[in-house]
Amino acid sequence: MDRRRDALVGAVVILGVLAGITGSVWLASGWGSDGQPVRAVTADAGQTMPGAAVKFRGVDVGRVDRVRIAPGGEAVVIEMIVRPDLVLPAAPAVLLAPESMFGDWQAEIVSRDDFPGRVFLERPDLEALPGATLPDMSRLTATADEIARNLTVISDRFRIAFTEETAENLRRAIDNISALSDGLAEIVDQQANRFDDLADGVEQSAQDLGAAARAARLSFERIDAIVQNADVEAMVTDAGAAAANVRTVTEDAGVFLEDLHAAVQRADSTFARLDRLMAAAEAGEGSLGRLLTDPAIADGAEGALAEIRTLLADIRENPGRYLRFSVF
Amino acid sequence: MRPTATPHRTATVGRGLFGGLAAVGRGVSGGLAGVGRASRLGVAAGRSLGKVGMWAPQLSPQMARVGVASVPIALFIATFTGIVMSLQASYTLTGTIPLYFVGVLVSKTMILELGPVLTGLTLAGRVGANISAELGTMRVTEQVDALETLAYDPVAYLVAPRVLAGTIMFPVVALLAVTVGIASGWVAALQLLDMSSAEFVKGLRLFFEPWDVWFCVIKSVSFGFVVTSVGCFCGLSTRGGAEGVGRSTTRAVVASSMIILFLDAVWAAVLL
Repeated sequence: MDRRRDALVGAVVILGVLAGITGSVWLASGWGSDGQPVRAVTADAGQTMPGAAVKFRGVDVGRVDRVRIAPGGEAVVIEMIVRPDLVLPAAPAVLLAPESMFGDWQAEIVSRDDFPGRVFLERPDLEALPGATLPDMSRLTATADEIARNLTVISDRFRIAFTEETAENLRRAIDNISALSDGLAEIVDQQANRFDDLADGVEQSAQDLGAAARAARLSFERIDAIVQNADVEAMVTDAGAAAANVRTVTEDAGVFLEDLHAAVQRADSTFARLDRLMAAAEAGEGSLGRLLTDPAIADGAEGALAEIRTLLADIRENPGRYLRFSVF
Repeated sequence: MRPTATPHRTATVGRGLFGGLAAVGRGVSGGLAGVGRASRLGVAAGRSLGKVGMWAPQLSPQMARVGVASVPIALFIATFTGIVMSLQASYTLTGTIPLYFVGVLVSKTMILELGPVLTGLTLAGRVGANISAELGTMRVTEQVDALETLAYDPVAYLVAPRVLAGTIMFPVVALLAVTVGIASGWVAALQLLDMSSAEFVKGLRLFFEPWDVWFCVIKSVSFGFVVTSVGCFCGLSTRGGAEGVGRSTTRAVVASSMIILFLDAVWAAVLL
């Protein structure tokens, strides 16, 4: 009887403890549903908690297993367990968002291609999918409340500021704006005409450029044909020979120029001496100077020449008078 | 013409005032004396834990009486509590909040509140009254005095195993009650409400925290300790004959229930 009672007590205790433990584990982590782990990183977890639903295309595919701060504290790592047969989409990412208006959040596996405007946090070092967090209802309502307050302030200020004088000023401003817009329209028309002319000129220039381009293309084609006909080699050879000849001529010209330079130097010294002689002659120095400056000497010289000329005529007529030849 | 105070009337008022003050004084002194006796019993019970050879043989029978025998009534109450919770949650939430919150409400309420508290109150009526009546009868029939005469420590022999059994078995019974209550609420949601099993389970898991279960266990342990301790104290404090036994039994149930509700509030304020 005692053993039976003890066994009954033991059975009840074990049953109660097992009920507590297994129930807790099942409720906390979805025990009994094996799956593949998926990790995502976001800047903010929002109100996502362990046990929150993981959805893909609106279908419940798993649970959030753990939410923890990433090393360094600059991100949040969301660890999920999803169905083992789940195939992630191209460019997978995780979007944390409220599941309903009652505080429960979900993690939705999406493709980044479907959200081109949304910024997903990326941390390749954590080997986690990129993630982003949508604002919850409270933030949205707080923002809407702030906007409503701002609108109220603006409307109050508008009501205070919009008096009859303001309306008159506004009417004048509108008239001025109308006149200004007319002037702007006229300017725009003028500028449009100028732009038309400019466009015509540009078009003509484009046509000329096109013709030039065609001519250039033909020239290039000809050059290309010449190059392809291999005449260039002969031309280059001839050009080389011509260059050699020019080089020889240049060398000869160099020698000639050197000779010419020496001749010029000699002529220069000759002219210098001649200049000194002429200067001395003009100064009456020397025989020639005296001859040039003294008329008596010139007259004497002229007379001497006349006598010489007479003497030579006499010699020619009477050589024996002045010359005597003997062989022995 | 206004009545005038007479010496007789003045004396009557004076006796009434004096009587009221005397009653307050008696109540305060009696309460303090009760606290003193309870403290002395607690100290004696603590010391008696060292006499393992005296209370250990009584532990298993007391666990069976306090715990195992209480399982049916606890599960019965938990079953219908779970069903009612599910139906009333559906009645309240339909049209305003998604129905999977029925699961949230059932799980949270059963784990945090109704499981341990209803079990505690139920066992206060069953176990507390049983212990108080048993020990009260032993006291008025001088069986406790006989134990002392036979060199048995009545605290180690009677109080320690009952308090230990209640402290151990209350959380066990409460966990079973919570499990059965949630399961009955689940079945009610499936059968009586337009809910799927996935919806209900989603609600169960949505805001579940393992700490909730620890909270349930802590409360149940404290309730078990209180119910058995108060039962033992009231039973051993019994004076008079059968009438005294009845009074002590009633006092044990009322005091246990009040302390349970007081502790419920304290634990909620301290632990949540």
